[in-house]
Amino acid sequence: MANLKEIKRKIGSVKNTQKTTNAMKLVSSAKLKRTEELAKRSRVYAAKLTELIEEIAQKMQHSNAEGIDNVYFKDIPNPKKVDIVFITADKGLCGGFNSQTIKRVNQLLSDYKAKDVKVRLRAIGRKGIDYFKFNNIELSDEIIGLSAAPDFKQAAEFITEVAESYVNGETDKIVLVHNGYVNMITQEIKEDHLLPVDASELELNTVSTSELEVEPDDDDTLLDALVKRYIEYTMYYSLIDSLAAEHSARMQAMDAATKNAKEMVKDLNVKYNKARQEAITTELIEIISGMESMK
Amino acid sequence: MELMKLEIVTPNGMIFDGEVKQVTLPGAEGEFGVLPKHATLVSLLDTGVIVIEKADGSEVAVAINSGYVKVEEEKTTCIVDGAVAISGEESDLAKALEDAKALLKSAETSNTAIASAVSKVEQIGKSF
Repeated sequence: MANLKEIKRKIGSVKNTQKTTNAMKLVSSAKLKRTEELAKRSRVYAAKLTELIEEIAQKMQHSNAEGIDNVYFKDIPNPKKVDIVFITADKGLCGGFNSQTIKRVNQLLSDYKAKDVKVRLRAIGRKGIDYFKFNNIELSDEIIGLSAAPDFKQAAEFITEVAESYVNGETDKIVLVHNGYVNMITQEIKEDHLLPVDASELELNTVSTSELEVEPDDDDTLLDALVKRYIEYTMYYSLIDSLAAEHSARMQAMDAATKNAKEMVKDLNVKYNKARQEAITTELIEIISGMESMK
Repeated sequence: MELMKLEIVTPNGMIFDGEVKQVTLPGAEGEFGVLPKHATLVSLLDTGVIVIEKADGSEVAVAINSGYVKVEEEKTTCIVDGAVAISGEESDLAKALEDAKALLKSAETSNTAIASAVSKVEQIGKSF
């Protein structure tokens, strides 16, 4: 009998878990819809801005071959100091979402270490912070709360600070790592080289070949404003993208968990019925044999 | 009449995408007009009003707070931070004008630029 009770208790607890995971899935799918809409709307803007800045970078490289004097565009072939900004979620229970990002950051860390490059980590999101703290790896920035609710102003403030350290020469390169949203079932790790703006990997596909005129015509006013906007918006967009990916990852993980719980309840039910049958049979045998002996 | 492609993009998505005859932009160094086959140009945009002359000759005005423009021979792309279109149905117009004024006021750069932009918005409002 004790076994029966045990199984019944287990079924109850699995059913409870199933309810929780199902609720979390529903919440995530609702949130995903909202975030996806937000991402969709800002994607065009981010893409156009990137397109523009890359084209400028390209033209600058072509116009003067001996090197570019603008600090944001200069080419640093062997960076000695690299800042890695990475975005993880504040919460877990979203499958491999956070660990994928952490894995990539770790890989970058060891890659740079092999090349004898000094790396500073700037973490956004509690899960990443927890991981690196637990492993005693120093973080130069820890931001909690931004990845769960992307706010343009806060994102801009943060990245401006990072960019300032680049301008000051404290760092030679800024890399942005986040797990991005591809569609409802796929997430993809994205690694952006934020600064210096990199044009070397681009193919020259511009339609127009004429000289690029810039207004106001002292180069720096426009470029500085544009680059500032570019990094701010890229940061903000990465946060939104990461949030959308987090929700889709959580939705998937919770969907799988709900399905697993369902399976488990099914198995436990079979087990329970078998045990019950067994108990009844034993009881019957006892009664019958008792009657037999009284004859 | 030749036409060129015009795109206006804001953080909230694309608000204009189509063929136009001419577009007037509030550049940082002063207002300038762009016709098809304009030389390649990148410029900062100030608070002001973008006036678009569409293929059928009708005019559309869009109030913006700030942004950038990339002009190419066949295509002009405006990347702006905030924008309100001042056109459309009679009922929406009043609200759009109010929105436009609020948007312009929110950009606290230079008062004269905003004042001129606001007066322009009002003028456009009357002409509809």
